[in-house]
Amino acid sequence: MLYQRYIEIGRVCYIRLGEHAGKTCVVVDMVDQKHLLVDGPMSGVPRSTIRLNQVAITDLKIAIPRGCKTNKVRVELTKADISTKFAKTSLSKKAEAKKDKAGLGDFERFKLRVAKTT
Amino acid sequence: VNSSTTKQWYQRRVAITAGRQVPVQKSPRFYPTEDVKRPLTNRRKVKPTKLRSSIKPGTVLILLAGAHRGKRVIFLKQLPSGLLLVTGPYKINGVPLRRVDQAYVIATSTVVEIPAIANDKLTDAMFKRKAKPTKNEREMFIENTSEEPKISAERIALQKEVDAVVVPAVKKVEMLPSYLRSKFTLTKGQFPHQLKF
Repeated sequence: MLYQRYIEIGRVCYIRLGEHAGKTCVVVDMVDQKHLLVDGPMSGVPRSTIRLNQVAITDLKIAIPRGCKTNKVRVELTKADISTKFAKTSLSKKAEAKKDKAGLGDFERFKLRVAKTT
Repeated sequence: VNSSTTKQWYQRRVAITAGRQVPVQKSPRFYPTEDVKRPLTNRRKVKPTKLRSSIKPGTVLILLAGAHRGKRVIFLKQLPSGLLLVTGPYKINGVPLRRVDQAYVIATSTVVEIPAIANDKLTDAMFKRKAKPTKNEREMFIENTSEEPKISAERIALQKEVDAVVVPAVKKVEMLPSYLRSKFTLTKGQFPHQLKF
């Protein structure tokens, strides 16, 4: 198999770019070759269309019918406990580390630089 | 003229002038031919530049311009002129007691705990550049052979006095002296608007 993860109904995705960058969402339907209908009731992503390139696929998947309502998505997300599962993924950990690095002050950056070279 | 009517007239005049109102400033008898321009009233009160909320005594600042650009210094206080008084400290990075404009400075979030320095000599007058004596035509071609030292002994003494308070406070914080010794630079992928100081 060329790819391990597929964009499919119920696939949990991580939004890389755009207004909701950094949040996870679930694929509810496909609009066309480049757009998805996503929903993230637990992570604060409203039900909306999104471009495929704004999104990164995760390993996680939930069982929902195509085009189902937001409440159904919420129920299935809590049943599968996606939020804790996602926090364990390396993608989530890398995003956290990147956020921490961006929040460093000038002195902390200096200390980090010294620690790296020693 | 009948004396009784004059008296009556006089009495009447007194009664009239008793209640009369005369302006203190009378309108002028003479007006210039062209309107005389008067400057507009200026009621502006000069205040020292508003100090950024991120700058507090003991804050580490990054100098952005001048001979010491890139160096990190300790902020002491704002002088009445609005300029900031900073020190390297001199022994650590070679920046003496110096005045610096707020606009040419980045304030970092690092603050060193310094006891308040109350020194009468730390004023604008102390740091103002001395005007060179103007030479007349004859003296212009004679080289200045005065033996005046570049930095006055008074300044050196003041520097030692202030740094005696600042340096121990700096040494208390781990890695701070080497941090002040280093210069601020931007490396690849670093953009000032994305950096947090």
